[in-house]
Amino acid sequence: MRLELGKIKITDVQFGDATKVEGGTLYVNEQELIDIAMQDERIKSVKIELARPGDSIRITPVKDVIEPRVKVEGAGVMFPGMVGNKVKTVGTGRTHALVGSTVITCGKIVGFQEGVIDMSGPIAKYCPFSETYNVCVVITPQEGLGTHAYEAAAREAGLKIATAVGEAGRNVEPDEVVVYETKPLLEQVNEYPDLPKIGYIHMLQSQGLLHDTYYYGVDAKEIVPTFMYPTEIMDGAITSGNCVAPCDKVTTFHHLNNPVIEDLYKRHGKDLNFVGVILTNENVFLADKERSSDMVGKFVEFLGLDGVLITEEGYGNPDTDLMMNCKKATDAGAKVVLITDEFPGRDGKSQSLADAKPEADALVSCGQGNIILNFPPMDKVIGMLDYIESQIGGYEGSLKPDGSIEGELQLVIAGTIANGYNKLAARTY
Amino acid sequence: MRKLIITNNSFVYEKYNEKVELVDLNGYTYLQVLEYTRDKIHQGHKLLTHPLSGSVKPNETPFKSIVISKEQLDLDFEGLCIIEDSIASTKKFLENRPTPRCGEKIANDFRLIDLSLTENAINKMNGL
Repeated sequence: MRLELGKIKITDVQFGDATKVEGGTLYVNEQELIDIAMQDERIKSVKIELARPGDSIRITPVKDVIEPRVKVEGAGVMFPGMVGNKVKTVGTGRTHALVGSTVITCGKIVGFQEGVIDMSGPIAKYCPFSETYNVCVVITPQEGLGTHAYEAAAREAGLKIATAVGEAGRNVEPDEVVVYETKPLLEQVNEYPDLPKIGYIHMLQSQGLLHDTYYYGVDAKEIVPTFMYPTEIMDGAITSGNCVAPCDKVTTFHHLNNPVIEDLYKRHGKDLNFVGVILTNENVFLADKERSSDMVGKFVEFLGLDGVLITEEGYGNPDTDLMMNCKKATDAGAKVVLITDEFPGRDGKSQSLADAKPEADALVSCGQGNIILNFPPMDKVIGMLDYIESQIGGYEGSLKPDGSIEGELQLVIAGTIANGYNKLAARTY
Repeated sequence: MRKLIITNNSFVYEKYNEKVELVDLNGYTYLQVLEYTRDKIHQGHKLLTHPLSGSVKPNETPFKSIVISKEQLDLDFEGLCIIEDSIASTKKFLENRPTPRCGEKIANDFRLIDLSLTENAINKMNGL
């Protein structure tokens, strides 16, 4: 599978008469985006607000972040199987991305589990979305709407609006075109016969309400492990439906821009042979864990992988899947490196994960979520601060009268995201 | 294999009390639900769902539901390791900061999430 990703660099965002890209500026037609969201009768009202790097703006509670993209050549459309889109295998042809811009959905879903993005100040450095030009979609649901229905409405509004904004890049000449290619297994193995065959075991959050991820529109808790070409993921084959702890939430943006896939491609054909992605889930039922991790191990053996990287999403329950996958991939003959974040208590001395196995002897840390930070007040809040103290990482007394917040890093969207799309790491000396 | 739900969550109690055998631990803490479950595993019940389900950390929500087998079999050693690790994790988080008191609205959100996680697991247990 071969995908050309055309990167259109966005350096400003403005409201305009039409949604378009001109000279690096993304213009959005406010009413057009509102109308898209308001097609859903579950939504009572929608507000569109813009946030730029350096603005004195705090965005919270954030549900999802999506990079606007459009398929310009090749089969299928972005986000296949979602929001009524046809289910067609994606990942080939050409896709344009409005790099440097995002669509952010915000508003209260439940009274916790959604996080904070600061566009300036000392906390901005913990969050990748303080450096992007953000189109924020603030959603208010109809009164009495159930949480499941509201989550679905907010998720779908985000995807539809991101699709409409992405459309603005269809006829724009990209600043850069990057080509990603993975061949069918036997061809791929033969192309670099002397290089180690490396796979990526990608664990999707799939436990239940606000802990769901979708694979071509299928709820990931219903899948058994499967094999993917990495470029399928760049075209939106995986979308986020979750509101887990903000710091390690894998948003749809992070699926589109998975840094593990990006870095494996950078070394593809140089010192490794990246043969593809094994996709699996993180269920609550222990028999599901056993079945899924057995199948992951079987894939590792069948594909003859020499090494694998594994990422997880969330803490606790997924740590058990992580360790089971680690053990079974090791038993199948691969060298295994885990990538995750840590919750070792504020002093950093407790065990970082809720489970462990002797085979887990190589781990890349994306930082620890328990450290306490001080968030200074901002001139403007997009969304609301009402829930800060019950959002994960907040606590009684977190919100000060002047609008400043004392809270854990866990509050910051993607602060310690467990696939490495952040700025923290742990080093041993 | 028949199921037994251990819960301190009234939403789970209301939904399953008449359908599935259930131990109502209303008023117990999250940690006490885990410890009660651990004792049941020692008596030969098999652990069926992960005790730390949900990414809501153990010092953030007061509510927890766990499904075990109704039958008592040989000791489920893997299950015992998982529940002991979960208890250790919970104590670590509580030492860091105790579970905050939460208003009824937030409490209902926590109950709803726990119910959803439990429902999803139970729906997948038909094969048992």
